[in-house]
Amino acid sequence: MSNPTEVLQELLASEIRGDILVLFHRNPGLIDTLQGVARRIGKTEYSIEKDVQSLVKIGILKRKKIGTSEVIFLDRDRDHEVLESVANHLSTIRGSNEN
Amino acid sequence: MTVPIPKPGTPGFDQLVNRASRHNGRVKTGIPELDEMLRGGFMEGDAVLLAGSAGSGKTTLALQYLINGIKQGEPGVYVTFEELPDQIYRDAKNFGWDLRKMEEENKFRIICTSPNLLLESEGENLLDESLKDVRPRRIVIDSLSHLAMYVDKHDLRKEAYRLTMHLKTKGLSSLLIWESPQITGAAFTDYEGVISGSPRRVASEKFMDLFRRA
Repeated sequence: MSNPTEVLQELLASEIRGDILVLFHRNPGLIDTLQGVARRIGKTEYSIEKDVQSLVKIGILKRKKIGTSEVIFLDRDRDHEVLESVANHLSTIRGSNEN
Repeated sequence: MTVPIPKPGTPGFDQLVNRASRHNGRVKTGIPELDEMLRGGFMEGDAVLLAGSAGSGKTTLALQYLINGIKQGEPGVYVTFEELPDQIYRDAKNFGWDLRKMEEENKFRIICTSPNLLLESEGENLLDESLKDVRPRRIVIDSLSHLAMYVDKHDLRKEAYRLTMHLKTKGLSSLLIWESPQITGAAFTDYEGVISGSPRRVASEKFMDLFRRA
């Protein structure tokens, strides 16, 4: 997924997705299981699964097998790319609206 | 049981100094009083146990050790099992340390995870990404007491040994934090008796008191 409009739509698709993004942006070094991430934002594992999957698809989050567990963490480089692309897209929209 | 820090002129102190003089590599903590006390700093590649009660300044000292390392061109990693990085960034700002900026410059990383994940990964896979990004020379594990909650008392020494040896093979000088339940007297618990043989226990309660006075 590289179209900034689609990425933006995906990022803003749910409140939970926003909570997960805020958690990882405030704590970029967080490495935790799905259950652990859910607990940290006051949700259940089941309720955040779809949103985590979406962020993994965009590339902002990564999943990795550690022993018998699977952990989730922020892909700092990809996150930077995505945010930059979205910011550029928004400033282009703002510019065209002003004209 | 606590280990008293030998004073200059005593046999224990002289032994320490003689042993130290055989090695060239010293890792300066950057805290003048402590470096002077340690005759130049920690031994390079050693695992040092920093023990103290809650609020005694273990985290601040550990962060200072990493920050001073960065100033000397040695990147650092802080592994926390308790506090979220957000809190650490905020607290560090009070000391004038911009940890986020240091992370952007790939000089520093905070890893926040659960002790059981570190144990499962055998310390390797979980830390790998950050170790590759930053190529640290110093690492802080905050704390071994949290790790102890996830292992049987009799396995703690083995796990602590495995972790410290893993860090040593990566060429890291490590500072392992241990939260003691009290400030004076018999501060070390049964657990500490178990792990005391693995890392070098230079920094004890007495040291923390001394550091606070400095």
